[in-house]
Amino acid sequence: MIVDINFIGLIITSIMASAVPLILASCGELITERSGVLNLGVEGMMIIGAISGFALMIVTGSLVIAVFGAMLAGVLISTIFAFLTQTLITNHVATGLALTIFGIGISAMIGKNFVGIPGKDFPILFESFKDAIPFLSPILFGHSIVFYFAFALPFLTNYFLKKTKIGLIVRAVGDSPDSASNQGINVRLVRYLCILYGGAMCGLAGAYLSMIYTPQWIENMTGGRGWIALALVVFSTWNPIKILVGAMIFGGLTIIQFHMQAVGVRIPVQFLTALPYIVTIIVLVVISRDSRKIRLSTPSSLGKSFYKDN
Amino acid sequence: MNTNLKISNVTKIYPGCIANDNISLEFESGKIYALLGENGAGKSTLVKILSGVIIPDEGEIFLNKNILKLNSPIDAKKNDIGMVFQHFNLFETLSVFENLIIDSEETPENLKEKIQLIMKKYNFSINLDVPVLNLSAGQKQKVEIIRCLIRNPKVLIMDEPTSVLTEQETSELFLSLKKFSEEKILIIYITHKLKEVMKLCDEVAVMRRGKLVSVSKIKDENIESLATKMVGQNLKTIKKKKSSISSSEQLIKVTDLNFTSEDPFETNLENINFSVNRGECLGIAGISGNGQSELFQILSGEIISDKNSIKFSNNFIGDLNPQERREYLMAFSPEDRLEQAAIPQMKIFENVALNNFKSSNFFNNGLINENRIKEHSKKIISDFNVNTDNIELKSQFLSGGNLQKLIIGRELITSPDLLICFNPTWGLDVGAINYIHETLIKINDQNKSIILISTDTDELLKLSDKISVIHKGKLSKIMSADEVTSEKLGILMGGGEID
Repeated sequence: MIVDINFIGLIITSIMASAVPLILASCGELITERSGVLNLGVEGMMIIGAISGFALMIVTGSLVIAVFGAMLAGVLISTIFAFLTQTLITNHVATGLALTIFGIGISAMIGKNFVGIPGKDFPILFESFKDAIPFLSPILFGHSIVFYFAFALPFLTNYFLKKTKIGLIVRAVGDSPDSASNQGINVRLVRYLCILYGGAMCGLAGAYLSMIYTPQWIENMTGGRGWIALALVVFSTWNPIKILVGAMIFGGLTIIQFHMQAVGVRIPVQFLTALPYIVTIIVLVVISRDSRKIRLSTPSSLGKSFYKDN
Repeated sequence: MNTNLKISNVTKIYPGCIANDNISLEFESGKIYALLGENGAGKSTLVKILSGVIIPDEGEIFLNKNILKLNSPIDAKKNDIGMVFQHFNLFETLSVFENLIIDSEETPENLKEKIQLIMKKYNFSINLDVPVLNLSAGQKQKVEIIRCLIRNPKVLIMDEPTSVLTEQETSELFLSLKKFSEEKILIIYITHKLKEVMKLCDEVAVMRRGKLVSVSKIKDENIESLATKMVGQNLKTIKKKKSSISSSEQLIKVTDLNFTSEDPFETNLENINFSVNRGECLGIAGISGNGQSELFQILSGEIISDKNSIKFSNNFIGDLNPQERREYLMAFSPEDRLEQAAIPQMKIFENVALNNFKSSNFFNNGLINENRIKEHSKKIISDFNVNTDNIELKSQFLSGGNLQKLIIGRELITSPDLLICFNPTWGLDVGAINYIHETLIKINDQNKSIILISTDTDELLKLSDKISVIHKGKLSKIMSADEVTSEKLGILMGGGEID
């Protein structure tokens, strides 16, 4: 078999494209978790984003409205979560699971009228450079703006957390909400904002799936990516740069197993389809062996409700 | 400039308890004030009101004759009131510098310069770039103090600052506080330790059950008079007759005990060797977090160790679980009463049944023998002075003192040969402490043995026949209690060497 470097370039491009929704959702959830809130509703928020984006695109015809509408939908549904967990002090885990079930259900209901409708073309940037350099060009050029944003996001998130005052406050709230509150930081407000930001990013991740990656609506089209995004946050030990690496591993295996199926490798299809999940879990276990590192970087208050007694 | 802080008729009521009942106090800078009282006397509530964490139901606070509205900690900060909390208010995973800059409006460069100046002036030395969780308790407290000093406070409130410090760190703290006081910072020092009040403060206000009992000058008081005011009654002093029974019969012997933890926040134990004779009390001193809880868990069987490392009355028991060890007549009283020793949501008699012996017949063919357990519980309650007659009460509603009596009673009613207890009087009021101490002395008199792991040096000196110090998982040599002083213990607890 002759290995064409352009073909390898294309494979890398498709790996990157499949990593985009994972990066977006994980980076959003990372901020939420860094503030001490465990939102297991990522899958639900993503699928709400997916149907909202797609539906708005068909109804309004405007891609801009569709993308921002999807983010807004993510914000709205995460507001429910924020209100329940922060104002009514419900349990994070139960509320997050409920949010996912709710999201999957309501998206299927709204989506009924949109099944089978083809999506629109999403504009791509730098199209003219696409063939300029072999191998590199398809990787670097000719992608949607969401794609570029996703690959910048881990670095922006890292900078935000490490170098800015607000990032420091987010980390402080996640470390010890009691101390933060005694320092005069409004813990509930910080957590609300972090939850809503997470919702917006999950909404965007969903919109990417239904508008750019596979421009159509299929029921349950997020297919467990929300759960993988959640796992990536832990796997990365709450480090955005490692999220990028993890998302590429998962995306890479997804794409490679497709190609292996196409080439006709004699491994049962079911096993190949399960491969990315299995390998990601194994990598997770291997990397999580360093319990010291994990515990040092885990937001100490993760998943715990904060009460202010007066 | 002089500072005058006045608390006027402050009242704070919680459901079922009046935390502060019409308190009025006045403070002047240049002096160090003590706010003295037992646990639950209301002193923490009062200082939380001063620092804006709690809003009072009634009453006003004046700073230099101006009325202060303290609705949040920010208001206190703005009005130059600094507070060092008993449980540190630091972010463990953030660096020292990040902890300091988070509530500061200054640029990083200016702040760094300011911190360096403060550290130089008061002889602090702390690495600003390490995460706070790597610091010792004394260093953490210095970070808290620096955080207050950055704002040039007029008032500095210290809430039970020495509960986590060694003797040496305490003296260093006192030196710093005296320096601050000379610089006209008004200092309010909250404590229940009488010795510290006598050593450090100029005036003392005593609180009891939410009420202000007295305000006086230190030079008019002594430890006994303050104790009487604090507790509200005369306390008998307990003194142990040392080694009344000289027995050479070895009861428990621990040989070359090692423990390596997988958990980075636990302490590894290295080469622990000791033995206890019948009728003896071995005290193990140390600052919390130096391996005491791991040692307790190994001795009680929560952590299984090498079979031969623990020998108890001629049996090797290192690999037995707590239940099996109890059958050999060992008894355990863990540190955390509500988490480890008792189950808060369960009734008193159900908690009693948890300590189940084959001989006690609490269970018949897998069914609970309720009558037998209740009978047994009633005996414990009357024998050990637990102040309730309702054995159906959930144990979370017992006060700390009563719960501890119940636990000690549960352990002792089977008359074990060895009682291992870990901070048995932690957080109790003086009356309950006295009762527990008397009980422990009584056990020794009956030729039973005790291993007392405690962070309270006075308690150890009072009760032990032999004392050792645990530091970073290593045990110091075992000393006779007569030759040990709290100063010597302090040096060993801080990792120093003596002789």
